[in-house]
Amino acid sequence: MAPTRICLVRTGGQSVAEATQSAAAGIGIPRLANALFVLPYMLILLVMLIIPLGLGIWLAFQDYDMLGGWNGSVGLENFQNLLDDRIFRGTVRNTMLFVLMTTPAFVILGLALALALNDRLRRSAMLRAIFFGSSVLSVTIVTLVWRLVYLPDRGMLANILGTVGLHSIDPVTSETWALPAIAVVTVWWIIGLPMTLFLAALQQIPADLYEAAALDHASRWRTLMSITLPSIRRTIVVVAVVEVILQFQLFGQALLITGGGPNNTSRPMVQFIYEAGFRDLQLGFAAAASQVLFALMLIAALAQAWVGRKREG
Amino acid sequence: MQTYRRGSSFTDRALFIAVALLAIIWIAPIIWVVGLSFKPNEVLMRTTGGIAAPPFTLKNYTDILASSSVFGWMLNSAIVAIGQTVLTLVIASLAGYGFARTNFLGRNALFVIVLAALAVPEQAIIVPLHTMFAMFDLHNTYVALIVPRVAFPFGVLLMTQYFRAISPEIEEAALLDRASRFKIFWRIVLPLSVPAQVTLGIYTFLHAWNDYFWPLVSATRPEMYTLTIGLASMQTNFAQTEGIGFLMAQAVFAGLPVLILYLFFQRYIVSAVAGGGSK
Amino acid sequence: MAEVSLRQLSKRFGPTQVIGDLSLDIPSGEFAVFLGPSGCGKSTLLRMIAGLEPLSGGEIHLGGARIDILPPGDRGVAMVFQQYALYPHMTVRQNMAFGLRNIGTPTDEISRKIADAAEMLEITPLLERKPAQLSGGQRQRVAIGRAIVKQPRAFLFDEPLSNLDATLRSRTRIELARLHQRIRSTMIFVTHDQVEAMTMATRIVVMNRGQIEQVGTPMDVYRRPQTRFVAGFVGTPAMNFLTVAAVSDEAGFARVSLPDGSTVTTVIPTKALPSAALTLGVRAENIQPGGGIPARVDVIERLGERTLIYANLRDGSTIVYDETGDVQVSIGENVQLAIDGSNAHLFGADGRAIRG
Repeated sequence: MAPTRICLVRTGGQSVAEATQSAAAGIGIPRLANALFVLPYMLILLVMLIIPLGLGIWLAFQDYDMLGGWNGSVGLENFQNLLDDRIFRGTVRNTMLFVLMTTPAFVILGLALALALNDRLRRSAMLRAIFFGSSVLSVTIVTLVWRLVYLPDRGMLANILGTVGLHSIDPVTSETWALPAIAVVTVWWIIGLPMTLFLAALQQIPADLYEAAALDHASRWRTLMSITLPSIRRTIVVVAVVEVILQFQLFGQALLITGGGPNNTSRPMVQFIYEAGFRDLQLGFAAAASQVLFALMLIAALAQAWVGRKREG
Repeated sequence: MQTYRRGSSFTDRALFIAVALLAIIWIAPIIWVVGLSFKPNEVLMRTTGGIAAPPFTLKNYTDILASSSVFGWMLNSAIVAIGQTVLTLVIASLAGYGFARTNFLGRNALFVIVLAALAVPEQAIIVPLHTMFAMFDLHNTYVALIVPRVAFPFGVLLMTQYFRAISPEIEEAALLDRASRFKIFWRIVLPLSVPAQVTLGIYTFLHAWNDYFWPLVSATRPEMYTLTIGLASMQTNFAQTEGIGFLMAQAVFAGLPVLILYLFFQRYIVSAVAGGGSK
Repeated sequence: MAEVSLRQLSKRFGPTQVIGDLSLDIPSGEFAVFLGPSGCGKSTLLRMIAGLEPLSGGEIHLGGARIDILPPGDRGVAMVFQQYALYPHMTVRQNMAFGLRNIGTPTDEISRKIADAAEMLEITPLLERKPAQLSGGQRQRVAIGRAIVKQPRAFLFDEPLSNLDATLRSRTRIELARLHQRIRSTMIFVTHDQVEAMTMATRIVVMNRGQIEQVGTPMDVYRRPQTRFVAGFVGTPAMNFLTVAAVSDEAGFARVSLPDGSTVTTVIPTKALPSAALTLGVRAENIQPGGGIPARVDVIERLGERTLIYANLRDGSTIVYDETGDVQVSIGENVQLAIDGSNAHLFGADGRAIRG
């Protein structure tokens, strides 16, 4: 208890008020030594996140690549080049399309599953475990499984379509189906996240609300619409925002299932960043693309949160 | 809702059947892959129908065990995941306690920074982070694979929230028992936070084990691959492959550790997800 | 000699003054109860003595030494918290040993002290249990035991009975009083429950809005409340307060007229009275039927051994009076009441009691 001793020694020459201020040691008393608790984390945060973030913003305005070295600041040229890049514009379009495909699916299916499985029955617990279980697998395993499902002729999908007499398609090599195929994999993979968030919210609704509704002769549908959904409105907004942020970051599934093809129709922005930065080693260009992605994510999330709040208010 | 339920049992039954059917669709790919992983490659070359029909074989799995690199990758994954988990627990607990229960000049400002850091996605920093590690020649090391992920603030926020819920009276009692601030943290608060530690630990372990992007760009030498990266590196030339069974066995083999973890710690994993997503 | 001495204490939370210029001496061996409504500053005051809340001004002395400059663990006080604050992951024995270990007490001495305290509190069979395995009353005893083993100069209790059910609460009151008689330590007990204060205290400190209203023995505070606040706060049911319409003199004593026209002769000298507005205070037990004040019964509360009757005077004001448990009375009935003037109090406009 070093600080205490210092206080004791110092009290001799100090005014009463000051002495009492520094001596009482309730748990909320400010003391600089307490900062030592957060120091290790703040250092790692600084070096591993804040400095890279600043460096990334700086890099976005530089002509810097691994091979040619640093050729000074180029202002907005990297961003201009991105704008002119047909492939980059395609990745922006693909990413947005992907977000539009998956987010509603996560919200609607996640909510439906949560509503159906929100009870203490054993069978519901089992089904919850099944829907959640796939999300503990890594992207590599998930894509491995689904490439086997999508495999032409010998895949599971081909087998099922074959038994009902349909001609097998290969979504991985179809310009139309490549991105939806990735969306299906993604929903299959992590539907457990929104489901869990909705379940947690449903359990927060006080049981007496339902008892009151039952005494008021509310039908099941009526109860859902006028009690359940209004009670979890905030969670619906949160899930939508979380999913938009997550799905903007689409990368592994696309890289490992389609490689971005065919003809770039399933190439997401993160894959573009990966290829620009780590294959072509154009660091400034890649950093600029990162900033565009970051900005789009922030705008989308804020817009959603704003719409959600406006509707609530 | 769970205590009171109204409506006809017919609706209930129909609903359950619908959801159960969906669950079967959900689990079908896994069952299909597990089933075929026990079939000889020669059979799978011709047809993948009828997973329940013999012949069966364990050859696909013995082939994995014979390949030396898979074990090395698994070891790497274990080192990285355990290292990251331990480091995260120590650092997030300290910081969480600092933010939740102690007071010092600038605490609130620092906490706002931590909250803001939640909004920063990995992709926004991965290029400069990679450059920084390259400058110090740290790629292809465990340090590079472990340390950067500790910066993500989820753990700190989870622990902060948990510590805030512990009654301050207990700490005051310890203060009257002449315990120092660190002793209160170490002997009183930390033992009380074991459930949160387990939750955060499993969550961190899973994320580290499954991490893809950063190991992909940082671990470029095959002997430093994690299991996730190593498996992905073997997935080239898919449609032409003759070893579907082998690929399936790999998927099962690699998925097994996390699925076992999931079976044992489902409650903690779910609570981490429920707590994490709402921030 | 004063064991605990509070000198001109003040406490501010930001711009809000919670305790202002409060001074108090508590003699050695007293069981002092700080009594007051929630938010009166009594808990804050206790936490200031414990060192859990910094002072904005003033000094605290314990046993002749100034302690407000010391950290909580060095002050020689032990505290029993409202929620007991037992360490949930430690056994009862470890809970009691924690503070002793922190000051380097030898192991055998720790065991001896724990054994003694456990025996006194009859918790010896519980020593190896954890708090979660104990009932509310048992936790309460452990919390007291944890304080006793430290042999503090003063015990501090922060509403420790408020989480117990009624039966257990009254039993614990008796046990605490017995404990105090046995170990003769100075104890400071904070509560908002006047029954706890009346039954356990050797000295009650009634507090209101960060100020001390009155210090005295339980009967002193009950019989001779110095302020209208004390009169209203101590005693069940609360004292009746009636506006005084006029005052006349009767053989040197004040004779007051009530708004309904009836009069009460007190034992308060007329010359002590100020001219400003007065209030007559009289307890339910000092009003009986069979006088000249007409009233109409409004509500009847039967408590078993006695009956409380709320009645309206002619001017509409309500008074409550005591009756026997089996009294025959019905709502709407007209009664004639008598007020015992020798036990009546008069309060001035400033709320202070007027005495001879």
